Amino acid sequence: MKKAIAFTERNIKELTRDPLSYIFCLGFPLIMLIIMSVINESIPPEAGMTLFQIGKLCGGIMIFGQTFIMLFTALTVSQDRAGSFLVRMYATPMVSADFIAGYTLPLFIIALAQGLITAAASFVISLISGGEFSIPGALLAVAASMPSALMFTSIGILFGTLFNEKAAPGLCSIVISLGSFLGCIFFDAEATGGIMLTICKIFPFFYCSKCARAAIALDLSGESFLIPLAIVSAWAAVLTGLAALAFGSRMKADLS
Amino acid sequence: MYTIETKGLVKRYKTKTAVNGLDLTVEEGELFALLGVNGAGKTTTIRMLACLSAPTEGEGFVQGHSILTDKSGVKTVIGISPQDTAVAEKLTVRENLAFIAKVFGLDSERSKARVTEMINMFGLGEYENVRAKTLSGGWKRKLSIAMALLPEPKVLFLDEPTLGLDVLARRELWRAIKKLKGKMTIILTTHYMEEAEELSDRIAIMIDGSFAAVGTLSEIEEKAGAKGLENAFVAIAERGSEE
Repeated sequence: MKKAIAFTERNIKELTRDPLSYIFCLGFPLIMLIIMSVINESIPPEAGMTLFQIGKLCGGIMIFGQTFIMLFTALTVSQDRAGSFLVRMYATPMVSADFIAGYTLPLFIIALAQGLITAAASFVISLISGGEFSIPGALLAVAASMPSALMFTSIGILFGTLFNEKAAPGLCSIVISLGSFLGCIFFDAEATGGIMLTICKIFPFFYCSKCARAAIALDLSGESFLIPLAIVSAWAAVLTGLAALAFGSRMKADLS
Repeated sequence: MYTIETKGLVKRYKTKTAVNGLDLTVEEGELFALLGVNGAGKTTTIRMLACLSAPTEGEGFVQGHSILTDKSGVKTVIGISPQDTAVAEKLTVRENLAFIAKVFGLDSERSKARVTEMINMFGLGEYENVRAKTLSGGWKRKLSIAMALLPEPKVLFLDEPTLGLDVLARRELWRAIKKLKGKMTIILTTHYMEEAEELSDRIAIMIDGSFAAVGTLSEIEEKAGAKGLENAFVAIAERGSEE
């Protein structure tokens, strides 16, 4: 466990000392939060468009921010693999589980901080714009979005393990675009319904944002909160298993 | 018991045999150089001994630990400085060393003492709070070796430690390596003749994955019938290609 903690500390330092991680993991989601709030102010009430109201927007942006954590995980893993750093670490008593824990924990901590900051910013916006916003709901959303943070971190580890440092970020960008679209972060598939909603429901992103939004609204019903949370948790468990398997196999291949 | 012993060590890739039946013994405290041109099999040999690559055939022991069946035992007695500088770029010099201390499970007091010892040994004091990415190639290489030495390994593997360094940085690193002689067993790979000549107790000339000659400098010169390591290397290599 000490080895995993040492590796976690190293990864936290590497991430927090990269200015890009602040721009993408924090700056960009906050900018989107502000822009969408401004757009919301311009939407007439008779349009019945509630997606960008701060109570709903906050949950979506929490998930949107996590997609960038996936990107940074993929970058960290693929860059470590590209250089000799992992070779040195392979020659230490560290085992595959130490590496997985060491890559996952820092991003988990950053996701938690990111969620809290998004919640705080949303609260400030709600005070300015006068929108409805529940602080206990936002805190619950931060907690409820941890399975999705684990899921995105696992996708990042998977891409960073399977692809090189040039391909992995590109693939993550595709997932970011798909995630924000199919996760209904910037459009409301439940309002449009039809084939679009069916497609959205195939992927986990839809349930990530649905769960976070329900938590903020303190709607803890099975359909809005518990079932989406269970689906996201199942995806997270499967993808974490796959990431661990992929990293372990890659490590074995590197050492063969 | 030899510190390092290999019996018929072979590493075969799909179309190429990188290492071909190495029988090697290295005594405790020796500085043993693997000398050869690029692709001779030096790094592959080190990688197998450090459990970073599995041999296709043969067996090897490091401090009595089998590289096939006791990899965790091997990893507790070795330190390695890979060919490319393997440091955490955004961590400071001190943080890089402290990180390795934690990975090897040193307690806080021992960790602080060893980190300071390494900083002093390699003259890294001026840069201890500087991030590794801003260091020059020579200082990075020193840090990389200091990281390998921190857990007090019995066997140190240095893979092309002065590759790409300017002449002054190379000489400075030689002085640092000389200070380590006798304190531990060191396996060094190089393709610089003067480096092997300057630092080693014994030298193995590797050609196409095999040992063409093993011995002290004078033994190799005698075998080659030529004076100086470079002349001896050329004579042995040419003889090998004629055969």
